[in-house]
Amino acid sequence: MDYTAIFTALLPDLFVVVALFAALGVDYGCLRGASLADRAAAAARIGGVGLVGALVALAFQLTGSLAVDGHALEVATHGQLVLNAGTLALKALLFLLGLLVLPLAARTISTPQVSEYFALLLLATLGMGFMVTSRNLLGAFVALELVSLSLYALTALNPARKKSAEAALKYFTYGGVASAFLLFGISYLFGALGQLDITQATLAEAPRLVVVAYLFILVGLGFKLALAPFHLWAPDVYQAAPTPAAAWIASGSKIAGVALLLALLGPVSLPSAHSAIVPLLLLMAVASMAVGNLGALRQANVKRLLAYSAIANAGYILVAVVAFTDAGRAAALFYAIVYAIATLGAFAVVSVWNDRLGREALIEDFRGVWKTSPGLSLALLVFVLSLAGIPPLAGFVGKFYLFFAAIHAAPQMEYWSDGLYWLVAVALLFSVVALYYYLKILKAVFVREENGELDSSPVGLPAATAILVLALLTVALGVWPEPVVDYIQSYLF
Amino acid sequence: MIALLTIIFSFIGALICGLMPACAHRRIRWVALLTAGLGLAAAFCCALRYTGPGMEDVISRTWIPSMGVGFLTGFDGISLPLLLVTGLVAVAGVLFTWKLDHRANQFYAFYFALIGGVYGVFLSMDLFLLFVFYEIAIVPKYFLIAIWGGAKREYAAMKLVMYSFGGSALVLIGMLALFFASGLNTFDLRALMTVDFSSGLQSVVFPVMFVGFAILAGMWPFHTWAPQGHSAAPTAASMLLAGVVMKLGAYGCLRVAVGLMPEGAMVWAPWVAVFAVINIIYGALAALRQDDFKYVIGYSSVSHMGFVLLGIGTLHLTGMTGAVLQMFSHGVIGALLFAMVGTVIYTRTKTRKLDELHRLMERMPGIAWVFIVVALASMGLPGFSGFVSELYVLLGAWATLPTWIVISAGVGVLATFGYTLAKIHEAFFRERSTGDNTSDGNDGEGDADYPPMTLPEKAGVALLLGASLLIGLCPWLLTNHIAGSLQLLLNRFN
Repeated sequence: MDYTAIFTALLPDLFVVVALFAALGVDYGCLRGASLADRAAAAARIGGVGLVGALVALAFQLTGSLAVDGHALEVATHGQLVLNAGTLALKALLFLLGLLVLPLAARTISTPQVSEYFALLLLATLGMGFMVTSRNLLGAFVALELVSLSLYALTALNPARKKSAEAALKYFTYGGVASAFLLFGISYLFGALGQLDITQATLAEAPRLVVVAYLFILVGLGFKLALAPFHLWAPDVYQAAPTPAAAWIASGSKIAGVALLLALLGPVSLPSAHSAIVPLLLLMAVASMAVGNLGALRQANVKRLLAYSAIANAGYILVAVVAFTDAGRAAALFYAIVYAIATLGAFAVVSVWNDRLGREALIEDFRGVWKTSPGLSLALLVFVLSLAGIPPLAGFVGKFYLFFAAIHAAPQMEYWSDGLYWLVAVALLFSVVALYYYLKILKAVFVREENGELDSSPVGLPAATAILVLALLTVALGVWPEPVVDYIQSYLF
Repeated sequence: MIALLTIIFSFIGALICGLMPACAHRRIRWVALLTAGLGLAAAFCCALRYTGPGMEDVISRTWIPSMGVGFLTGFDGISLPLLLVTGLVAVAGVLFTWKLDHRANQFYAFYFALIGGVYGVFLSMDLFLLFVFYEIAIVPKYFLIAIWGGAKREYAAMKLVMYSFGGSALVLIGMLALFFASGLNTFDLRALMTVDFSSGLQSVVFPVMFVGFAILAGMWPFHTWAPQGHSAAPTAASMLLAGVVMKLGAYGCLRVAVGLMPEGAMVWAPWVAVFAVINIIYGALAALRQDDFKYVIGYSSVSHMGFVLLGIGTLHLTGMTGAVLQMFSHGVIGALLFAMVGTVIYTRTKTRKLDELHRLMERMPGIAWVFIVVALASMGLPGFSGFVSELYVLLGAWATLPTWIVISAGVGVLATFGYTLAKIHEAFFRERSTGDNTSDGNDGEGDADYPPMTLPEKAGVALLLGASLLIGLCPWLLTNHIAGSLQLLLNRFN
């Protein structure tokens, strides 16, 4: 294994790292004394250039122009770098979404630590890239910690809210404990497997050691993915963090987290092995759907509502994960992607609106928005209806695929508890509940006419483009999901 | 391809109306009329070209092969009357909302999104596609009612959406169960219709799917969204709700639940009939007790949908033909009743309370006579389509169902006569019974004559009443096609 191979393999990440340091350096060096807006624009531009460079490099890697010997790399790094068509595409998607977060962050910057803010965003993006390309217990854990630490710090960077620091501390404490659980579980899993590389590892059955290992791993990842009963940090953090950071916690880290969960569950694909941990997954799925959807009903703050919706959606994802089939894994990942796109879009609109109000928006603050900002209202309509699972938007196909895959695993129905019919029924019941609170937002936006002072300051071209791209993706993935579904099925699972 | 044009025109119309500026409502209504008219014309072309009895105009494209989903559309004698009624009601809805100027661009965007979804359901030959269109139709209903509706509109809109979405959740479960039980890896309805599902599965899945669809058809005890939703909705939306959206549910019951699961249908048919009779009688009695004119029509819709369900419950060619014909008939007449009450009478009297209507027969004689004719047509006056369809349903019921059910349905017919005549009396022939204006007769505006019907209103009445009269006099225009296609569906019952 020579260094040129590693260099070509990590070229995209190198772009991001260089951009990260460039942003810090330019901000400290040349832009001393410049206004916040100028510094933010400069940092966002540098970060954007880095991510675009990374995306170009990834495109070359994907098309084969930049040859990466994925297999040799996989063996040489013990699964720490698994670069194939599937993982590279996932990494590219995360970088793309990260690129879309930057203009939002540049728009709403309020902290004096401008370059750190963007550096942390890039660092989190970088970590997510590693999370989805690592199939090594330790490598994946380190990547996850890179993401988590960046996100803790980002949460604290909202001086406009005193609660920001409190939420960051809460997030950090919960997250730290979760990491400890995860690491402990990983150590047991390492003991059972005898290796850190999980690319080829399979467990024919689950001895007690493995069950304990997965118990801890699921608790740890449950915290990270905001699955009930480990969700308690999520509403506070989503509400208090700067909105673009909250958006990135809800979207990018969700995709990476689900990919990691699926990778870690990889060794237990055999029925004899997974039966022991299925009850725990079922419990988390049902609890998340119940807590998330019922909790969201009473929220007045939009970001808090989206936090509860995140909990609920993590529960939906588990519906397909418990199927323990390739279709289930593909469905879980596909749903994580469409959910992330829609929720990122919703946060983007909320972020613009928070900015105009100068405070955290309540649902009531969206009254009559259709009059002054028809474009934003329409975008929010698309994102919220996708989250609610209304066709022809991506969220509908995503949910359908989840349920399809869940039942596909055991389609026989002789008795009501056979297969996952009951779980799908529970999920459907809660998606009816969910429609209620999603419509509450849309009611404020479209139905209400009254609102005293409506600010319609311009969104700005970069942020508007980001929102438009997300909305188009949401529609496109709903109308024509086949290419993406097919890609995930062929290359990832 | 012509059938598909109905969907395409509607969605393009929705887009164009949505993009036009709100202040251009005079131009928007012409665009809307053109869109609805093109849809009707396309549906009419389908009717002229249809030879029957099988599927025609089939368009088949792959869509999401990894989940067995195809884009598959076509129509047969069962969908044909429903396409026509959708087109008729869409045009009439625009005519009866001619004066709308409040956010007209958005109104017609939602209106045609809903209509496109409805056409889509009637044309889908793929279960997944049908479900997609079924759900596309849900959200526009919410906004149509919540934005442009009357009293308690937000509550009524949310209730309607919750009921529809809950129903579709049941349908989705049933859909997946059938898909995997068939082992064909397709949602193609034609293929699924050839599968003999195990009788155990059918007897479990049939009630789930039937109830899921029947919620939208206003089946008791899940009907309560209907009167409230209809009453709170603006005229065009309540016309669509009563005229076609309730038919979506009934169509789903017939095409999917009964069509795919004959054995389940045979097991559950008596229950369907019992619930249908409860619908008929309950709806009629509830209508009798209402004080709000729109609630009267709302409950009469529930009652008339009972006949549709009863026809389906007969599992007999005549009865089911009656059910489909009743869908058409109630579609045009129910929509017309809502138009008369919600626009023609309300814009003049400014009230829907029967108590407050005062000597309308003298003050709006023309409108009153038209309304009486429409109400009698709804009651089942010979010469109009409602008579033929209810007769078919009852004949079918005689043939297969227990006598007491038929007798109860007959009682329901009598109750229909009762509330129709009673409400006509209350609305048009009675002196105002409450209010302080009764005592002092010199109140000037209280006795003034109301203006006659406007041209768009006359056109709308002529269109819908004419359709009902035409089918009432020449029912074979539709029944031949309906019966031919139903026979194909019923062949599996023996």
